[in-house]
Amino acid sequence: MGAIEALYIFDEHNNSILQHTYNGHPASAKVLLPLYLAQPAPRPSLTYLPNINPATLLFSIIQDRLLFLCPTSKDIEPLLVLEFLHRVADVLEDFLGSPLLASRIEASYDVVAQLLGEMCDASAIANTEPNALHDLVEPPSKINELLRGVGLPSSSPSLNPSGSTPFSLGSGPRPTIPRAPPPTPTVLWRKANVRHTSNELYVDIVETLSVLSAPSGRPLAAFAHGTIAFTAKVSGVPNLLLNLSVPGGIQHVLSLPVFHPCVRLARWREKPGELSFIPPDGRFVLAGYEVDLLGPDYLENATKAVSAKPHQKHNVAPNLNLPATAEVRTNLGHSGAEFEVRLLLSNSFTSSASSSLASSQSSAARSAPRPAFGIAAGTSAQPTVSDITVTVPLPPAVRNLSDIRANKGEAHFAPSDGAVEWRIASKDVAVLAASGHGAGGAAVATLRCTVVGPLNDDEEGIEEIAWGETWEYQDDKPYQAPGVKDVGGDKGRDTRRMGKNRMLMPSAARVSFQVKGWLASGIRVERLIVDTQTSRGLGAGVKPYTGAKYLTVSEGGVEVRC
Amino acid sequence: MLETARDLTLEAARDATAARRSATRGMSTVHLKKLLDSRSERDVLEGLRRVIAMSYRQEPTHSLFTHLIKNIASPSLEIKKLVYAYLLQHAESSPDTALLSINSIQKSLTDQNPQLRALALRVMSGIRVPVISQIVSLGIKRGVGDMSPYVRKAAALAILKCYRLDPGTEPQMIEYLAALLGDKQYFVAGAAVSAFLEVCPDRLDLIHPHYRSLLRKLLDMDEWSQLDTLRLMGNYARRCFPRRKRRVKRLIDKRGTSTNTKGFYDGSSSGSEENTSNKDAFYDEIILDPDLSLLLESAASLLQSRNSAVVLAVTRTYLYLGTDSHVDQAIGPLIALLRSASDIQYIALHNIIQVCLLRPKAFVPYATHFLVRSTDAPHIWQLKLELLTLIYPLCTSPLQGLILSELDHLSRGHDTLLVREAVRAVGRCAQNSDGSTSSRCLRLLLSHIHSPDGHLVAESLEVVRHLIQRDPATHQSIVIRLAKNLDTLTNPYARASIIWLVGEFAGIDPENNIAADVLRILVKGFVDEAEVAKLQIVLLAAKVYVHYLNLTQPTASSFEQSAQVKTSTVLAPNDDEDRLRESTFAVNKYEPDRSAEDSLKGPEHPIVVIWRYIQLLSRYDTSYDLRDRARLYRSLLAVPSSTQLASLVLLAPKPVPQAPSPSETRRDLLLGSSSLIVGEEGGIGGLRGYEKLPDWVKESEEPNPGLREEGFDNNYGEKREVSASEKLEVMESEKTLSNNVVGGSNTNGHKQKALNDWLDESDSEEGETEEETDEETTEDDSEGEGSETDEGEKVMLMKER
Repeated sequence: MGAIEALYIFDEHNNSILQHTYNGHPASAKVLLPLYLAQPAPRPSLTYLPNINPATLLFSIIQDRLLFLCPTSKDIEPLLVLEFLHRVADVLEDFLGSPLLASRIEASYDVVAQLLGEMCDASAIANTEPNALHDLVEPPSKINELLRGVGLPSSSPSLNPSGSTPFSLGSGPRPTIPRAPPPTPTVLWRKANVRHTSNELYVDIVETLSVLSAPSGRPLAAFAHGTIAFTAKVSGVPNLLLNLSVPGGIQHVLSLPVFHPCVRLARWREKPGELSFIPPDGRFVLAGYEVDLLGPDYLENATKAVSAKPHQKHNVAPNLNLPATAEVRTNLGHSGAEFEVRLLLSNSFTSSASSSLASSQSSAARSAPRPAFGIAAGTSAQPTVSDITVTVPLPPAVRNLSDIRANKGEAHFAPSDGAVEWRIASKDVAVLAASGHGAGGAAVATLRCTVVGPLNDDEEGIEEIAWGETWEYQDDKPYQAPGVKDVGGDKGRDTRRMGKNRMLMPSAARVSFQVKGWLASGIRVERLIVDTQTSRGLGAGVKPYTGAKYLTVSEGGVEVRC
Repeated sequence: MLETARDLTLEAARDATAARRSATRGMSTVHLKKLLDSRSERDVLEGLRRVIAMSYRQEPTHSLFTHLIKNIASPSLEIKKLVYAYLLQHAESSPDTALLSINSIQKSLTDQNPQLRALALRVMSGIRVPVISQIVSLGIKRGVGDMSPYVRKAAALAILKCYRLDPGTEPQMIEYLAALLGDKQYFVAGAAVSAFLEVCPDRLDLIHPHYRSLLRKLLDMDEWSQLDTLRLMGNYARRCFPRRKRRVKRLIDKRGTSTNTKGFYDGSSSGSEENTSNKDAFYDEIILDPDLSLLLESAASLLQSRNSAVVLAVTRTYLYLGTDSHVDQAIGPLIALLRSASDIQYIALHNIIQVCLLRPKAFVPYATHFLVRSTDAPHIWQLKLELLTLIYPLCTSPLQGLILSELDHLSRGHDTLLVREAVRAVGRCAQNSDGSTSSRCLRLLLSHIHSPDGHLVAESLEVVRHLIQRDPATHQSIVIRLAKNLDTLTNPYARASIIWLVGEFAGIDPENNIAADVLRILVKGFVDEAEVAKLQIVLLAAKVYVHYLNLTQPTASSFEQSAQVKTSTVLAPNDDEDRLRESTFAVNKYEPDRSAEDSLKGPEHPIVVIWRYIQLLSRYDTSYDLRDRARLYRSLLAVPSSTQLASLVLLAPKPVPQAPSPSETRRDLLLGSSSLIVGEEGGIGGLRGYEKLPDWVKESEEPNPGLREEGFDNNYGEKREVSASEKLEVMESEKTLSNNVVGGSNTNGHKQKALNDWLDESDSEEGETEEETDEETTEDDSEGEGSETDEGEKVMLMKER
């Protein structure tokens, strides 16, 4: 079985910024990078390079625009390496600050060197828990950096008192007396002797939508991928209990969960929806799950409904209540060169201008302490939609869009990406909501575009025949249309152009948006309590602030076909 | 707001320093040496930071090595760590200088601080200088007996490195390993397992006494140790638990499992025992050894791990060691891996396919997870398409409809590669399913014929042709339908495909075959056809002509055969050559003569006329390939009475094309290995370092199960090994009984402490940290094993689930 042999990191311009060798004599970064880049653009995460010495398996991930490469010369479990690379990226981000930038790594090579040494000990992955690493490696303190820059001693006692400084930026207490043996942590994933002046607990549930609709508008698949991110800033060793609930029962709705190792699985199995755990210090991902928004028997039921009432195809969609979705109609206009995207905004979400203001406040209100579960007005009572973008990918044959008309928002075509991007600002959404309460309970915005195909397709009538000759030589399919002469006439040309333009039509549109204060699955945090019986180190009578935030995101996740 | 403002200022300041730094990047070595030799801790640190930065930037730092090494004796932990970090990276390139450090590292091995001890052990073993292997071995020996589990863990990992450094130390290493494998700290045992796999993977006798305790620790280990342990246990189980089966009478409701179980066993290496004769009444039930069940049960909770590699390792364990129901348990978690980043998704999909090849039925409920999205990269959608086709035959009718319309949609896309794969996927769907669904696929493909997309049309017809060839008898009407399309179809490749098909069917039902008529129509437009189509038209003409000859001269092929052969062997060659020569030089003259000759027998058959006309047309074509082929057919068919050779060449039965699922070739590769992802490129038998799972041990050759009894060879004092969950139960009950256990008044001694107790303790510890550290050191010195137990206990308790 193989082992991790080296780690190479490159910045966004593919300059090598770090080369760390763990074991053996792997191929160097100079050799590997060109071979990696030689592959076509969306590169797979594992490539085999048999023609170099030693023959190398090259693993790669890209995080925060940095490229991580890891070569091995023997067979190895690929997921092990990839998970390790992800952990390295996460730990570096945790220590050096988010987002992970090349300059940050370059500025603290000493910390990176220690981290890489701790995480993988001569090719055996040893310790990847950020909390445990914090016990062993000191993060680069920004104050230190600053002082070093100015030329002052960083360990001056007056500037750097023991315990947490007010400027310690959440890195927790630093072990300032290096000679004292640091205490061994009691739990693998939690730092020892955590202390915070303000005790806070936050739950952020983020659901990412993945919806696919057929051209008829009928959803084919609709999933919400949920992540429960948890922020614990509590002293001592707290024992927490988090209850989730959802109409319909958590065990039916929430499926395929994965958990952070701190979660007691037996408790979850016994009482679904109850998470009992001792959290690591700081922010971490507590759990991930999946919700099938259509329900398990959707497909069967839908077909039955269709066969029963064949004309009401559109109504079989179940209670899939999306804030925004789209419809695309193609081959419009007299030569079929136009297409139209209609964005449908659900009324229950469209925000008035005031509530969108409230939502922006609530997002900023994060740092301010909030009463326990007093969810700020305007978030979950009236969820607000923002950042609506519709992306329409176009086939590469489309040369340009001669005409882009959007009745709301702005749209532009980027030939390099081959897609039209149509953004609708929040205030436009508000206007839409106010004006268009008709149209079946949804506000509608439309975008209409005309495509321009390859050059030789634009030529009309007589010229076309003249073109026919030269075309033969340009393309290796000479008899493109022997039937042209037979069909003839205006009508024939039109249908032919229609056919050609059909090749230039988009085949899908993707809608992106963000909804604060709403979860597609309807999951809610019922309560979050600190079990005082079993928790230690939390002063008597201290009640941590608790807060929950819900966010539903679609990053091009709502896809409508046409 | 305040916070962000402050952040920004700090950021700006930091950037300014970074800029300053880059200006001083090329700091002279003299200055650096001065820094490193300085007495001020701060200067040394600064110097070390710069040297490390330089070495990461691939700048030469060799001249500074000796100056750097001096600082290894520094009392500052921070400085030590940096020197160690540098040493590990560079010791190999200048071993002599590195050796200077050994003494001081050895000193650190006896430091009071366990963290430093562990670090020293790690670094000493990490210096890749073979001469010190004996010193390292001694260091490990000390580390194995250390009371801090962190040091023992470092010792376990050092074993691995020491063995790599000098394989001659193996006997000592194995001795140390034997001790560490039984360590009651799960993270020590986990590290020992990793070392075991590298040092002596075949010494399973070392595992026997710890088998059960390792499994009990499995859940508490970190993710990487879990992976190693599962790998070890895979090998162990195959070598120690023979596959036992019992013949069981099938229940009356047959649940449709028979075929599935069969498929599954076929895949595993024990498949040879499978017997098909008893299919109806009996089936083989696997009897699991209780110890094997323990492995399978212990792994179950890991299916909820956040680490995708662990989930896959459990799946592998279940697939190769467990029963069907175990595998089914793992399907959901496997699907959950598709939520991860696309790099992990790619690997996960490959492995899902591997499981799906063996148990497609279990994936049917997850079909909608495999729908292709417009953002998927090619390597992702290719795998998704394969999955869809694999499960297609087992889906319910609405689901099949969904998959087909999905493929239909994709085949109308713009990406040529995607179009081709989608159409081929439809073909695979059709060939793997029964009549009605198959014809559904065929209809779908046929509907593509008039698409303006040439690639789609050509690819569809290609697949249609394959389908028809697989079962010619039932598809005759489709050929006729296709032939009708020749009037309007413009894509030359599609036309060629259809013409070829018509030719293949020319011999069936000679009374009302369309081939001749199709040929007649095609000949009219021959000049305007593309070359590919022309080639096929000439071939069609030849086929039609052969069939005609075979029909009109039945005598030639039946009883006059022998005579015919004789004459033809004697006469025909010359005759042929003559005729050929003549015809090439003087066709215009000769042909009319011949037709005149023939016309004496009456009006000539239209097929003959067409054949001759085609020959004429092709002779003057611009393409030499076409001319050559035409000549070949002409000489083949030169003698109307001798058609044997021509029939052999033209009417030979064609092999039925097969389109197996692309991953079918990887079927035998181990789930979760890199070889599986790389596939054929990795060479036969996988990549370097690829290890197959051993075959099941034969009955009565397995080691004595009694060896696994605990206490059999228990040299590390596991008197009472209780799993964490059991402990929780005990504690809960204790809590309910007496909720007032306060303070350190524990009556049951160390082992029976309740959670409350030690939490209290740690609380008081926190209040007086300094005192605590003192206490710990004295404890370490005097009490040794006792305090150790405490520490272990704590960790165990916190992990309770």
